[in-house]
Amino acid sequence: MHPSPLVELIDREQAPLLARRFYGDGAASPITASLAQVPELLEVALPFVGVALGPVSLGARAKEVAILRTSALLECRYCVRSHTVVALDVGLSLEEVGALRGERPVDTVFTDERERAMIAWIDAVALGRGPVDPDVQAGASAVLDDHELVELTMAVTATLMLNRYCTALDLPTSPETEARLAAAGIT
Amino acid sequence: MDSMSALADAVSAGTVNGRLWFYSNYHCNLQCSYCLTESGPLVKRREFGRDAILARAAEAQELGFTGFGMTGGEPFIRDDMPQLVAELGSELPTIVLSNGTLLNERRLRELEPLADLPVHVQISLDRPDPVENDDMRGPENFRKVMEAIPKLVERGIGVRIATTLPDPDAVDPEERERLCELHRAMGIPDEDHVVRPIVNRGRAVTNAMGVLAGFEQLEPELTLTAEGAFYSPFGPTVRGGRLDTDLLVSRTTRPLSEPATALLRLAEQMPEGDDARIGIR
Repeated sequence: MHPSPLVELIDREQAPLLARRFYGDGAASPITASLAQVPELLEVALPFVGVALGPVSLGARAKEVAILRTSALLECRYCVRSHTVVALDVGLSLEEVGALRGERPVDTVFTDERERAMIAWIDAVALGRGPVDPDVQAGASAVLDDHELVELTMAVTATLMLNRYCTALDLPTSPETEARLAAAGIT
Repeated sequence: MDSMSALADAVSAGTVNGRLWFYSNYHCNLQCSYCLTESGPLVKRREFGRDAILARAAEAQELGFTGFGMTGGEPFIRDDMPQLVAELGSELPTIVLSNGTLLNERRLRELEPLADLPVHVQISLDRPDPVENDDMRGPENFRKVMEAIPKLVERGIGVRIATTLPDPDAVDPEERERLCELHRAMGIPDEDHVVRPIVNRGRAVTNAMGVLAGFEQLEPELTLTAEGAFYSPFGPTVRGGRLDTDLLVSRTTRPLSEPATALLRLAEQMPEGDDARIGIR
């Protein structure tokens, strides 16, 4: 069983005034419900995350590759499980999801040159210390325009922030996510 | 944005109240059955430091606030409260809410400078009979309050009486008249006697008392605590030991322009007119 979150997840009834618009009609995500503890933080963080992780010039598939791969490298249980579902929803295959999660070799599943360069970039940004290897930089620059490289890099770094946030606070995945994973046969 | 002119304009227009409230602390020598903050002797104190209060008060004047309010918990459980209230009252009209039971001779002497300032001490007195009054507020409350009020009045300190009832409209007129005769006899005129309903927050929820008070029923009235800024002094209530967050505006309290600006944004969302607002001053 997943441990309880370290902080209270604020429910709709207790949602601060400026946080209410982020609760929508359904249950708020644990990220929203925890950030609501500091509504002025929620007000800037959620729109930022929405843009950084949503499709802009790079499509939803590329963004989910970045998010799921980064989350797997950082071993963020919450983000890996939540974005496994999202990745499947935007069209990634079970094999691709498994490769991004580190359960099978990436190179045997992702054969497209652009995507392989992107994943190499994601791995270098997410796990590296200091400058990125010049060969990896060159590989990414060869297949991505500058604005795409900026967008991809921001997707990775925003995910890193959320990975540590969710892991440190022991945020639980939603029952809906767990049900979807179970239905897909993913543990 | 120009926070100063915006807030001053909103106060002038009546869209936000000009009083800035401070929750000085949450502990209290009493444990009233309807207390919004579940206050008592052993609760988490949540003290708002003197220096921080004075710093926010200085900012408040620059922004265009027109008065201060101090509440708790019981403010006068803090030794620094008489001096703190005097400092606030030296700047803007100030009201401090008190249960009136800690006003011993030493404290009364410390309060004497308030006589020359636009400061009122608002003391709770709910019923004209000791037994009924003390049933909700605690043993000896009636006697202590009846002793304290004349001592404040004779020192020239402004006093208001606050009567909090489950349903003010249902009060026996004869009982209400007896209560008014009491405060008039102590030199408190009718205009300084407020009667308001119990609000269904804090301990009143546990005891199934009071009227509901949410965003739509409350006047925007910026309220600072040690744990953040709230929409109204009825916002930073406590239930089950947990600080309510439904009327939290921001955790940021400094600079004061930050929560003041957020309050103005919220005030703009209020529906036209104020018919829905309940009379809980």
